[in-house]
Amino acid sequence: MKLFAKAKSLQTSSLFTITYNFEFMNGLIFDIKEFAVHDGEGIRTTVFLKGCPLRCVWCHNPEGLSPKKELYLKQNGCLGCGRCSIPCDHEECREIGRCLHVCPKNLISVAGARWEAKALADKLLTHKSFFDTMGGGITLSGGEPLLQADFCVELLTLLKGQVHTAIETSGYAKSEDFKKVISLCDFVYMDIKLADSELHKKYTGVDNKIILQNAEYLKQSGIPHTFRTPLIPHITDTEENLWEIKGIVGGSSWEMLPYNPLAGAKYASVGRKYFLS
Amino acid sequence: MKKTLYNYYIIDRLNRGMRVKVEKDLGAEYSAQGLSGEERMTRRFEYLASLEVPHIHKDEKIVLMRTVANLPDVYTEAEWTEIRKSHYIHELGYVSNLSPNYATTISKGLLAVRETANEYQVRMIDAIISLCDRYRAEAEKMGREDIVEVLTQVPRYPARNFREALQFFRILHYSLWLEGDYHNTVGRFDQYMYPYFKKDIEDGIYTRETALELVEDFFLSFNKDSDLYVGVQQGDNGQSMVLGGVDAEGNDCFNLLSELCLEASRNLKLIDPKINLRVSSKTPLSIYEKGTELTKVGLGFPQYSNDDVVIKGLERLGYSHEDASNYVVAACWEFIIPGVGNDIANIGAVNFPALVDKVIRENINGDFDTLIGKVKTEIKNECDKIRESINNVWFVPSPIMDLFRADKRYNNFGIHGSGIACAADALAAVQKYVYKEKKVTPERLINALDSDFADDAELLHLLRFEAPKMGTGSKEADDLGGMILSSFADALEGHTNCMGGKWRAGTGTAMYYLWHARELGATADGRRAGEPFGTNFSPSLFAQIPGPITDIESFTANDLTRNMNGGPLTLEFAAGIFNSPESIQKVAMLIQYFIKRGGHQLQLNAVNLEAMKEAQANPEAYRQLVVRIWGWSAYFVELDKDFQDHVMARQEYNI
Repeated sequence: MKLFAKAKSLQTSSLFTITYNFEFMNGLIFDIKEFAVHDGEGIRTTVFLKGCPLRCVWCHNPEGLSPKKELYLKQNGCLGCGRCSIPCDHEECREIGRCLHVCPKNLISVAGARWEAKALADKLLTHKSFFDTMGGGITLSGGEPLLQADFCVELLTLLKGQVHTAIETSGYAKSEDFKKVISLCDFVYMDIKLADSELHKKYTGVDNKIILQNAEYLKQSGIPHTFRTPLIPHITDTEENLWEIKGIVGGSSWEMLPYNPLAGAKYASVGRKYFLS
Repeated sequence: MKKTLYNYYIIDRLNRGMRVKVEKDLGAEYSAQGLSGEERMTRRFEYLASLEVPHIHKDEKIVLMRTVANLPDVYTEAEWTEIRKSHYIHELGYVSNLSPNYATTISKGLLAVRETANEYQVRMIDAIISLCDRYRAEAEKMGREDIVEVLTQVPRYPARNFREALQFFRILHYSLWLEGDYHNTVGRFDQYMYPYFKKDIEDGIYTRETALELVEDFFLSFNKDSDLYVGVQQGDNGQSMVLGGVDAEGNDCFNLLSELCLEASRNLKLIDPKINLRVSSKTPLSIYEKGTELTKVGLGFPQYSNDDVVIKGLERLGYSHEDASNYVVAACWEFIIPGVGNDIANIGAVNFPALVDKVIRENINGDFDTLIGKVKTEIKNECDKIRESINNVWFVPSPIMDLFRADKRYNNFGIHGSGIACAADALAAVQKYVYKEKKVTPERLINALDSDFADDAELLHLLRFEAPKMGTGSKEADDLGGMILSSFADALEGHTNCMGGKWRAGTGTAMYYLWHARELGATADGRRAGEPFGTNFSPSLFAQIPGPITDIESFTANDLTRNMNGGPLTLEFAAGIFNSPESIQKVAMLIQYFIKRGGHQLQLNAVNLEAMKEAQANPEAYRQLVVRIWGWSAYFVELDKDFQDHVMARQEYNI
């Protein structure tokens, strides 16, 4: 988990920006990971967008769930010195309730940094020479990136033609958002976690109707894609579920992701409880 | 390899039980007789060789192992004191860190070499032959006709095939250690052995599998008695092997033997020989993938060096194109030339963080440009001081080593550059917070440094975790790193050393990442008093690095051809990252990118932090756990705790 510099204030931008809603100009990002080897073709830099409408019980990125900035407290190595609890006058610490600038072990950070699309694109493109030489590209992940669809559109438009782009999505988004974002991606990874609507609700908190609609669209879209199913023991890895998903996926590429046994590791850091241990 | 053989030497270490300790005070004896240095070395060699007891394991093919546990000094303490009065003595005073030309002797046989040898060398050659004859007799007794046949031919006569060449190498390498030379390197093994190997493969004597088995048997021979060759720590013994690379015409020389060596190392998982791989922008991805397969097993091998940069850099220092193209590494990463090099690649070290700290404290009230000017002056003064302190270098004579380097063409001295990242980071922090943003006053900074940040947690956090640093994508820090590198090269360029050679600036730390750091108080990069630097040309231990691409780009941002004494960037990866063929390929691409960017040297580790924690608590259960230290690999449990702790503190990349 890294703490990024706060996005530049927009108030000094040109007049034209006034017509935009500031919320759409900024994305909330909880991590940027270099050298991701499982997020698409070649070596990827993966951008994790914060906020997700799903609550999958097996989620391994709990800091990506809330669409707001939040305190992220690394659990190992705390000396108990208490310095972080002494009130400070940093503006950025106020909303967190702890001082971010004193921990001798650097255990305290904020999950979530606001990024202007242009600044983020520039940052990501500092490695353009790497992608040009070695292949690979940028992958948007989350959270659910489509929760910030307009930001994705803006970012992907800036990246278009410069570097290969991919997205990892649950497919849970308004179909117009889904369409406009994936049309800008060179590759789409979309999860089909559970085929049964009731079970989907039970384990992810939402109905899968909209997901299945978007899946149909993706299949017809002509955009290169792969469907993914995380194999969660006794939940998604049942013969029944996989058989049904096979039917949904049809002729498209489909891969199964092994369960991450360390999935629960970060929950305590954001004050959440992992129910699947 | 047969399990019985591996267990005997590596797990149960039964061979160590037959060691004989030499009690005689040879120095006193020789001193009383007023013997010359050559005579002393020859007598000791003859005496120790005569004490050796031949021992052959029933399953081994390559024989000869030290049973003499110690080498009594040939001079007395009083004599050393006298010698030191008029000479500069490098380390132990015996020759070290050289790459002998084994190939010529292997192709001629010792009897032919004896023809042109001096009287001391003749006697030592006779002692070697006599010891080998005793081994042959032992083989005869055991009914090992194969060994008898090999030892009937070598070392007297030229090796006729791959196995004889390997056995001959073993005899010569053993002899160097018995002479008292140390950090004896292996050189471009896959090149000088290739003719023998190729012929035998073509003649159908070996299949790929049986050849691999023989190479493994040979590799094991480096580990039978290496515990007797202790450097700063156990494992620091300099048995470096260099594979691949281009020839003088620029042809890539990676061959099937190179490949088998990578494979043998991977199968055996032993700390010797230490594998180095020469690569260039022409090297195909498949070779990096083979290298990464070896990285995966966690030995810290191979270490990569970039022919495009190194050959150019060595030529710049005056090495001929042909010799530069033949470069190898010394014990760790210092570039040297086999057969004709007489360089002392590790004669001194500059403690950059200490110099920068002194300048910051003395000049923080002036402007930044002046401060940088002072840093350059300080680097120059320190290099002058080191240069002037090294005169009349003297070594104990080494008749055997001299057999393997008839022409001492290069006599350059190398200086390590310790803590380059820490020093650049300190300057970058001062530049940003004291000068540009004026967020930190000079008084506050100096007070915090003096008190080791005891009363200023916020400044510690700012400097340590938020400030620009090398490896984090900060152009300012990288530029300051570049300033240090070029000032270092400038300070040494154009000067001649006492042996008529030049001075070489390096990027390695050797053990100074601990030694220099121990004696240094808190620094402006947020490093607390006594805390170690990163090893070699690597980021500080607490730099918040976004990932390996940024790290690589930072450490290849500057021209390195003027800092050609060696010292790699190290990348640490969580061991789990190597688990799929896909990720092996992606790590290989990362290495290729480093080389294409003009990096000079790179070393990668597969780190298993959990295993290290367990090993500290329960060493007996982890006797085979290997870690990389600064230019060599070691068994974790045999290291002192501060070396263990440093390995555990390095930042690793996960997926």
